[in-house]
Amino acid sequence: MTGTTRLEPEIALERLATFGVYQDPSAFAVDGVVPRVALAVSSPEAVAEVLAVCAAAELGVIPWGGGGQMGLGNVPERYDVALDLRGLSRIVQYEPADLTIAVQAGRTLADLEEALAANGQMLPIDAAEPERITVGGLVATGLGCPRRFGHGSLRDLIIGITVALPDGTLAKGGGIVVKNVSGYDMMRLHFGALGALGVIVQANFKVLPAPEAQRSVLLAFADAAAAAEAALTLRGSQLAPTALVVLAPPVVRQLDLGMTGWVLAARCEGPEAAVIRQADRLRESGGIAAREADVLDREQTIAFWRALQSLLDARPQRDRLRLRIGERPSRLSELAGHVVTELGSALAGLVLDYGSGLAYVTVSGTVDALRLAWDKLAEVGQHAVLLAAPAAVKVGTDVFGRHPDGIAVMRRLKETFDPDRVLNRGRFIAHL
Amino acid sequence: MDRAAIRERLVSIVGADGVLDRPDELLVYEYDASDEVFAGHHHPDFVVLPRTAEQVSAIVRLANEVGLPVIPRGAGTGLAGGALALRGGILVVLTRMNRILEVNERDGYAVVEPGVINLELSNALQPRGYFFAPDPASQRACTIGGNVGNNSGGPHCLKYGVTTNHILGLEVVLPDGERIWTGGPVPETPGVDLTGVLVGSEGTLGIVTKVMVRLTRLPEAVSVLLAAFPDIESASHGTSAIIAAGILPAALEMMDHLTIKAVEDAFHAGYPREAGAVLLVELDGLQEIVTENTTRVAEICRQHGAWEVRVARTKEERDLLWLGRKSAFGAMGRLASNYYLVDTTVPRTKLPATMRRVEELSREYKLSIANVFHAGDGNLHPLVLFDRQRPGEVERVLECTTEILRYCVDVGGTLSGEHGIGFEKRDYMTLVFTTEDLCAMAGLKKSFDPRELFNPEKVLPSGFRCAEVGLFRQQALAQRLGLEYV
Repeated sequence: MTGTTRLEPEIALERLATFGVYQDPSAFAVDGVVPRVALAVSSPEAVAEVLAVCAAAELGVIPWGGGGQMGLGNVPERYDVALDLRGLSRIVQYEPADLTIAVQAGRTLADLEEALAANGQMLPIDAAEPERITVGGLVATGLGCPRRFGHGSLRDLIIGITVALPDGTLAKGGGIVVKNVSGYDMMRLHFGALGALGVIVQANFKVLPAPEAQRSVLLAFADAAAAAEAALTLRGSQLAPTALVVLAPPVVRQLDLGMTGWVLAARCEGPEAAVIRQADRLRESGGIAAREADVLDREQTIAFWRALQSLLDARPQRDRLRLRIGERPSRLSELAGHVVTELGSALAGLVLDYGSGLAYVTVSGTVDALRLAWDKLAEVGQHAVLLAAPAAVKVGTDVFGRHPDGIAVMRRLKETFDPDRVLNRGRFIAHL
Repeated sequence: MDRAAIRERLVSIVGADGVLDRPDELLVYEYDASDEVFAGHHHPDFVVLPRTAEQVSAIVRLANEVGLPVIPRGAGTGLAGGALALRGGILVVLTRMNRILEVNERDGYAVVEPGVINLELSNALQPRGYFFAPDPASQRACTIGGNVGNNSGGPHCLKYGVTTNHILGLEVVLPDGERIWTGGPVPETPGVDLTGVLVGSEGTLGIVTKVMVRLTRLPEAVSVLLAAFPDIESASHGTSAIIAAGILPAALEMMDHLTIKAVEDAFHAGYPREAGAVLLVELDGLQEIVTENTTRVAEICRQHGAWEVRVARTKEERDLLWLGRKSAFGAMGRLASNYYLVDTTVPRTKLPATMRRVEELSREYKLSIANVFHAGDGNLHPLVLFDRQRPGEVERVLECTTEILRYCVDVGGTLSGEHGIGFEKRDYMTLVFTTEDLCAMAGLKKSFDPRELFNPEKVLPSGFRCAEVGLFRQQALAQRLGLEYV
């Protein structure tokens, strides 16, 4: 931003009070770094103004939703202002007959679900803590859930976005219609960009009719290979489960499923009669080699997948590490074998999402052991990301793993949209 | 570098049979499927037909060296002037890159070159039990690269989502000539979602040289039914009622009386000629669901005034019902010597009002308008019929279509659902987007293509050149903060 006279940081911090309400900054620590101030804002315009002031004073800002996924990201390089967005909680527009909704970023998933459920609709996104996690957080982190197999991820459902930029403007992309090719896809530019290019203040989604019925089929296998083979068979079938995962024994114990070994879980959603029949057929075609089978009813299904989600998200971790490895479904089994061998008794959890090809690994142990585990696994698979770990493990590495092609373009995007590195400084890929 | 030297360099890259520059050779590349009355003819300096990604990269590097614009092009079926050489330059035609390189059913993807024809891909996948879901009406001619460039959909978008939902990764040559892969077979690639940004960017950010597409499993059962309604309004209400009942058809298409007549005259698809509108509904999925929903949809249509509901009993009958829809644009030749296709999207609930407005405008401007569209997702295609030889008619068509677009945007819709902005609609962008929105988009463009050599004059309206935008933003920020701009 050459050409603009700078603001003194202290003056800038004072000026911020006109745009929001100061809060206790200690509640907004990220990787142990406590901001100088925490500011709760309640309008998109205020977010833009705050960013402009911070840009002029070169202050570092971290947008804050529910804080539930703040484990994702590198250790912040500069963190002056926590921007609490929970005050932006309005449903801006909801037309049930159009199956679309526009919602402000600070609204929690639970509050959004409630509005949709009142009209028999849903956003097919599972979260461990829907009362806490916000729409903005979901979009900014871009983390999916196994249900993407049947319904697509949030990336597939987002149809419009509004972001506040560090130049003090609000910019939107997309709209509130499901088919839209008017201009660049700004939704996907910001989806999963960890708020490094702009602060998401509103997102528009297409929503789905809620299924009349839900069931889940659980099949227990003696070993990983048998479970994997069953998962791949179901994946290639026409039975259309909406989620398909394999759980390693420690996870089976942790979720208290009353089974032993490796458990394949498949979710069925749809009209009552079809779901019952589908669950039967899934059990028949996937369970040939299974030694135990169980079918969960609707409530059990919802509870099971939510509990499972608590092993897949990016909530901050103090004494353990959670990482995600992307690998083709046909190679997930091999990957799992490698992970088990490498980690041995340090492996505290392993969930293989056969619907997408993502393996979620939990490791427990000392900081040194955790660091060693990351060193061993950072290079495997198509990509590996450290979802959450103690800050000491994160230092000196990039939690986003190997840099993909196109990192030069990503750098230029950061330079264009956030030349003063106001947003999430250092936290995104390549410490942008 | 003079023209002959550039030509020689191009020949050294792609061979003599891959470079066209004689006026007669260039003629067919001066326009695309958009109406030339509106888009005009634009003369590229060279047309180059590469066979490999390496060649594309070398062409782009050369263009950079000599400062010539680069315009990617597939089959030229685009309807928004997106593949026109507005500032001359090198038109990179990718139709020779047309191989299906890999099909991996187990992991659910295929890798294809951009020149592969959409329908050929689905035909190749079908025996293996899969298909590629995006199916534009032009699927017999359009290329996958073009689908990616325009994020162009089709009837099956209703259930399966738009093209961007089916593109897993891209090999792309960036404006500096660098060749990269974005995305991949597994989702959530770390970093900025460059695949998502590139899809629908209309060749302004890079040239796609390989596409990794998602394979969709063929459904267990399919059912197609046709419902004849007295008018568009009742058919629109029928559409809303189907969705409101929680049924998500694979496709839900509507045709008005004018279209039905034209289609019947041309193709004899068996549509009831006397209907004011027909709905074509495809349901797919598990057998139990399809059977139940077919009955429910038929009931809903009857409740909303359908006087005939016909369910196709065989694949041949299903194909015949679809033939009418997919050939509708072609059949328009029977009604008028020219038509202008408006591609716009409104929220589905605004369909009846929008159709009334289109009818009003048709009377007001004394122009026949046929309607054939994706009713399920509100993507309208009013076809304004005209005769370009008649004095004043072209201007009237432009005014009329502008009014249609304006109305659609006013009720919450947008400028294009699947055909793109290109050159033709770029100046309408200000109807939907503010200066701030467009500046952000220009910032995106600038991050990829700072010299603005890639498909120039497209998507963004005039006045949104990258350099101007940077200056504008800095001044605005200084002003907002009460600081001095030096």
